[in-house]
Amino acid sequence: MFGSSKIKLDKDLLAKIKRLADLAGYSSPEEFITHALEKELAQFEGAESEEEIKKRLRGLGYIS
Amino acid sequence: MRASNTRWLRPVAVVALAALAMGIVPDPGAARAAGRRVVVLGFDGMDYTFTRELMAAGEMPNFERLIARGTAQPLGTSVPPLSPVAWSTFITGMDPSGHGIFDFIHRDPETLFPYLSTSAPEETGDPVKIGKYQFALSGGGYELLRKGTPFWEVLEERGVETTVIRMPANFPPSGTATRELSGMGTPDVLGSYGTFTFYSSDIFLEERNVAGGEIRPLDLWNGVAEGTLTGPDNPMLVKPTKLTSDFTLYVDDRADVARLVVGDTERVLEIGEWTEWIDVDFELLPPLFGFLPLAPNLTAMARFYLRQVRPEVELYVSPLNFDPYRGDLPISTPEEFAAELAEISGRFYTQGMPEDTQALKGDVLTPAEFLQQAKIAGDEVEAQFLPVLERYSDGLLFYYFGNMDLVSHMMWHVMDPGHPAFDEAKWGPYREAVRELYRTADRIVGRTLDSIDDDTTLIVMSDHGFASWRRTFSINAWLRDNGYLTLKKPGKKKASILSDVDWSRTRAYGIGLNGLYVNLRGREGKGIVDPARKQALVEEIRRKLLAEVDPLTGAPAITKVYVTATDFEAGPYLEIGPDVVIGYAKGTRGESDSALGEINADVYTDNTDDWGADHGMDHETVPGIFFSNRPLAKRVTGLKDLAAAILGEFGIDGFPRAADSS
Repeated sequence: MFGSSKIKLDKDLLAKIKRLADLAGYSSPEEFITHALEKELAQFEGAESEEEIKKRLRGLGYIS
Repeated sequence: MRASNTRWLRPVAVVALAALAMGIVPDPGAARAAGRRVVVLGFDGMDYTFTRELMAAGEMPNFERLIARGTAQPLGTSVPPLSPVAWSTFITGMDPSGHGIFDFIHRDPETLFPYLSTSAPEETGDPVKIGKYQFALSGGGYELLRKGTPFWEVLEERGVETTVIRMPANFPPSGTATRELSGMGTPDVLGSYGTFTFYSSDIFLEERNVAGGEIRPLDLWNGVAEGTLTGPDNPMLVKPTKLTSDFTLYVDDRADVARLVVGDTERVLEIGEWTEWIDVDFELLPPLFGFLPLAPNLTAMARFYLRQVRPEVELYVSPLNFDPYRGDLPISTPEEFAAELAEISGRFYTQGMPEDTQALKGDVLTPAEFLQQAKIAGDEVEAQFLPVLERYSDGLLFYYFGNMDLVSHMMWHVMDPGHPAFDEAKWGPYREAVRELYRTADRIVGRTLDSIDDDTTLIVMSDHGFASWRRTFSINAWLRDNGYLTLKKPGKKKASILSDVDWSRTRAYGIGLNGLYVNLRGREGKGIVDPARKQALVEEIRRKLLAEVDPLTGAPAITKVYVTATDFEAGPYLEIGPDVVIGYAKGTRGESDSALGEINADVYTDNTDDWGADHGMDHETVPGIFFSNRPLAKRVTGLKDLAAAILGEFGIDGFPRAADSS
């Protein structure tokens, strides 16, 4: 799911991710990592993505 | 579960009796205020000139009755004349610097992300996690961002009972009225301002999200169509997972009907028929061993509309609304008041601004279907009003009607055949639509006059008027073309201030329908303008904007430019707002994309949108109405004076309070 890019992770961390990903209901460690990164990035970008915020505001009607 | 009359007894009176029993000397102001009666009907977007025209034509006899011994005048609106700003001004008696609402949309000065100005979701605390499940311990509510003291709070302090129904910019409810129901700004179950879903079995229809709604496929096989309603994220799962709820339509072989099955509800629907509110259950956790419930379901409600069954099945589902019986969202004071209203006249749209303008704009509903849906929403509000009026005995009753505003946005331009979006075939049949709204308002006023006695003051008011919106002005494109805003890639046709602007060479940007901000050092995240040079820059921009001429019409595009630092009062929230508020010429409005911080190619465009009328213009061109059945003791010229005049009817002075406005 990372395409051609690879990211190196510490072995112990990877083992922990594999264990917790399953426990938390993720279908794969990749899905868990993606979600964790998205959540962390959202803190820098704001709670929601630009697209989500704009979609919600357009729902007001006043904004087409 | 009929509402007991005791619920409508005044808690204030009980407190007053208790105070007397304890030997506490009552406030003399309270004695003056007690027993007075003032009813205020607020019709959002009711235009003064058009009202007078219809009155002169004899189409509004009850308005004539109303003003026979009273007042009829235009009501000065707020700057800018947008509903959240205008109603906040009415509520607090202050301009935006005092109540903190300058537009529908504000921005975070650090990140420049836009947000809704009136309320915000509260942060949830860290949930407790057990495996893949989580349990929130706190939060999940909403915060009212409107500041200042609402006028009804002053009445309550003097022992006057107040009932405030659907006041805009009052979600969550202030908690200070005897009874309140929130209106504009109240979200749907998805946390949006209304998200419809349109289902079709047409395999060529692309599944997509549109503004204010979603287009979804319907699996049709042998006359059975199956679809899925999508709810919010399941709050009990660590992994973000949308809640879903399935429904089925069984299409009749021969007749144009279908049987709709949603959970335990079954309903036969003819083509063109709307359902009543139907429960939609979302299961948060599967039951243990298949039968032992571990968590209650999230139950929303929706109205379904069967558009057609052949050749394809098409079904519109309203936004998922919170059920007023369940109390899952704080929409009323006291909490059970929403359920009491539902008990009186049935369940109702709890989301603010329920008229589904976006479904019409997205061609999901035709104009005729939109008017049906809007009538359903308007009828709910009217059906609730009469029992509320019957139960009202004294004090203040404020009741809001939003139908006129949202339907006028979509239908007003039908009265303007020169409008760029006007098409005789599409819109011609609806020339009476806006007039019909005014006739409905007249009927409501008539019933109110029949219900009140001679000692009751009746005020009929609106927050702003209306105008055909023919031309669109993009402030961000103008700032770019005039050298105030620089793109990283200068030729880019579609850009955003969030990703495409070179802030080291940008001095101003637009956010909101009427707002312009200086990229100020020390305030904006990447600000470059020295605060000492801000005033000169603002004056320069002001001068240029006032000189703008629309190349198509040859007329000025902008007739007012307000510099907030000098034209607004020096209230405590001045810093929240824009540095400049633009008053577009009547007939011109700010571009939608620019309001969200986008920068398009053209400064001027025709408005070809179905949303063909607006009021976000020069405030002097779109006044509201102020009619009453008797002259008020205090003079009223604009929205800002009205609350003080209402308090004056109760013998109360000194509003707004000095502490709020400084």
